[in-house]
Amino acid sequence: MKNFFSKIGNSLKEFGQALAHGDIWVRLSLVIMGAGYFGRKQIMRGILMTLLQVGVLASIVKVFMPYMAKLNTLGTVQREEIFDPLTMQKTVNDYDNSLLILLYGIIGILVIIAFIALYISNIKTTYKIYKLQQQGEHINTFKDDVASFKNERFHITLLTLPSLGVILINVIPILFMVCIAFTNYDENHQPPTYLFTWVGIKNFVNLFTTSQTITFGYAFIRVLVWTLIWAVLATATTFLGGILLAQFINHEDTHFKSMWRTLFVITIGIPQFVTLLLISKMFGDNGIVNTFCANVGILDFFKNIGLLSPGDAFIPFLSKPGWVHVSIILVNIWVGIPYQMLIATGILMNIPSDQIESAKIDGANKFQIFWKITMPYVMFITGPSLIQSVIANINNFNVIYLLTSNYKTANMAMANSHAVEPDLLITWLFRLTNEYSNFKMASVIGIVTFIICAALSLLTFSRMISSDKEGVYR
Amino acid sequence: MKKTWKIIGRHIFLAVLAFIWLVPIFWLVVTTFSTQKGINTNHFFPDHWTLANYHQLFFEPDAAANFPAWFKNSMIIGIFSCLISSIFVIMTAYAFSFIDFKGRKPLMSFSLILGMFPGVLSMIAMYFILKMLGLTDSVVGLIIIYSGASGLGYLILKGFFDTVPISLHEAAKLEGASEATIFAKIVVPLSKPMIVYTIINSFLNPWMDFVMVRLMIKSKDPRDWTMALGLFNLLQRALVNQYFAYFCCGGLMIAVPISILFIIMQKFYVEGVTGGAVKG
Repeated sequence: MKNFFSKIGNSLKEFGQALAHGDIWVRLSLVIMGAGYFGRKQIMRGILMTLLQVGVLASIVKVFMPYMAKLNTLGTVQREEIFDPLTMQKTVNDYDNSLLILLYGIIGILVIIAFIALYISNIKTTYKIYKLQQQGEHINTFKDDVASFKNERFHITLLTLPSLGVILINVIPILFMVCIAFTNYDENHQPPTYLFTWVGIKNFVNLFTTSQTITFGYAFIRVLVWTLIWAVLATATTFLGGILLAQFINHEDTHFKSMWRTLFVITIGIPQFVTLLLISKMFGDNGIVNTFCANVGILDFFKNIGLLSPGDAFIPFLSKPGWVHVSIILVNIWVGIPYQMLIATGILMNIPSDQIESAKIDGANKFQIFWKITMPYVMFITGPSLIQSVIANINNFNVIYLLTSNYKTANMAMANSHAVEPDLLITWLFRLTNEYSNFKMASVIGIVTFIICAALSLLTFSRMISSDKEGVYR
Repeated sequence: MKKTWKIIGRHIFLAVLAFIWLVPIFWLVVTTFSTQKGINTNHFFPDHWTLANYHQLFFEPDAAANFPAWFKNSMIIGIFSCLISSIFVIMTAYAFSFIDFKGRKPLMSFSLILGMFPGVLSMIAMYFILKMLGLTDSVVGLIIIYSGASGLGYLILKGFFDTVPISLHEAAKLEGASEATIFAKIVVPLSKPMIVYTIINSFLNPWMDFVMVRLMIKSKDPRDWTMALGLFNLLQRALVNQYFAYFCCGGLMIAVPISILFIIMQKFYVEGVTGGAVKG
């Protein structure tokens, strides 16, 4: 951060120097950005720069300014339709659209920042060319400039389009949603019919509040705890299971190794939205698994040991809290182990065999070898990526949403904040937007998710940097 | 003797595991041949066998299910976003790996931070933006969403580029090649296996995705849907008793392109391509 500010400071200093020591053309560039180039006979570059300046300034004044002026209130004039009995037509007043104001406001601010940066660097460039001219060195012709985009400026050629894409698809939407978290944009304040406005940190307060009318605090704690439990359990079970399975298949006594591997990998080939939906139907209240369980007597067995009440006609694999949580973890094991097995197979092939050999000679048994040699080795290789996969599981939308798309909660406090028991933060966020248009709370939840993920990532980075064990397996 | 039993036991255990893993897939396959349209909750195997479901899948689109249109939409989206995002990823990875320009490190850390925001969050705002542009419910909008920010996914390919010997790069420079020539004529051909991997991944990403389509497409007309959305819709309460066998057929059919891609990918996974290149 300090670095960042000192860079800006340096940049401004150079800007000042350029103006102080530059000639008339450099100073003229303050007004007409192409002037510095005209002065050195770089006509084409000068024209392009001036055109860019005119275009950007015009778009700021014409397009962005009217919206940016209303950013502080996000609009005051609500949409009204007036029916004119004479012309038999509806006329709509000149209303404000909060959504457009916010969006164009953000884009406008970004454009202005970018323009200021360009403006300053332009003066510096013209000054540099001025100095070149003073020293009598070669000044690039337009042809040279174009050619430089294939050589010393090739990174600009490469990165322009991808960066624009990231700004458009990622940066602007994220800024926009972060802003939404501080407004009252929900189902009652939807543009264009209604306005929404700034409400400060009220939504963040609401997320931690439990009262008669607001149950977000109640739901948030439950969803958060389940999200964390899920992320840890899902990662740990598939990770361990994958290693065990890979070891089992790799064992010297196992024949047809690649056939067994292929059998498990087949499940990866079918998209998750097919397999998960299929499984959700298999384990449905009247699904085929329930029929099977009733016929074989598992249903009665569960009743006898008190897991189900005598009146239950089916096992609620995916429709009762508790049951659904266990089912989701189990199904995730089914989904995740083949992937983990593939990864673990690759790692296990590189395990140093001399350590295992010497452990065997010293009389270690299989379990000791697995826990004292294999696991530390695998953990050493995949440790950092484990935290990454915990983060991926926090954002694991598919498993939860596709398995529980028909889940109805019986808990009024949960239902009141549109959450259900098996929800993760990410599916709750999705439900709030897609089904209830409660954008303000969805944004708040999104920001909270980001904070959790960022904190976990920092953990990985500091671990990777501080680790002094790099040479252990060399 | 004891050893033989142990080995047999080991294989029986594996067989049981494999059975558990394959039961749903097997159920999917046999259900495609069922004469019963809804879910057969009593028997695993269909009561009567038929190929009619496949005929319906390919030739009889109706008001709720239109597999040919979904397949076409998904294919168009998959191919175009694959093209655009592969190009973006390759360009970004090359710039970050080979060119030591001003601001490289800050840009890379910035991209890491951006990646930590949950994708769904920014997609909500993307929905508003596309709506203003009139691009929701359209294939173009989805292509923009899948491929626009793909430059962020450069890390794996950059890791591979980092292993391309820097001496190659310098040798080419000495011979007078421009950065653009090195990029197009040397690095890209050398990295063929990894680039094929990148291309396949950028095709599979939209092909397998469900969330974004669900957010972006609000149209009630099945012809505007993609495969993920269409198949999801068939399993909703009102339709599942009519279309379950249809769903299974569709699910099996989209697995086909993926399987083909996996087979191609294996062929390109040849190691040591760069190893021999610098010697000559």
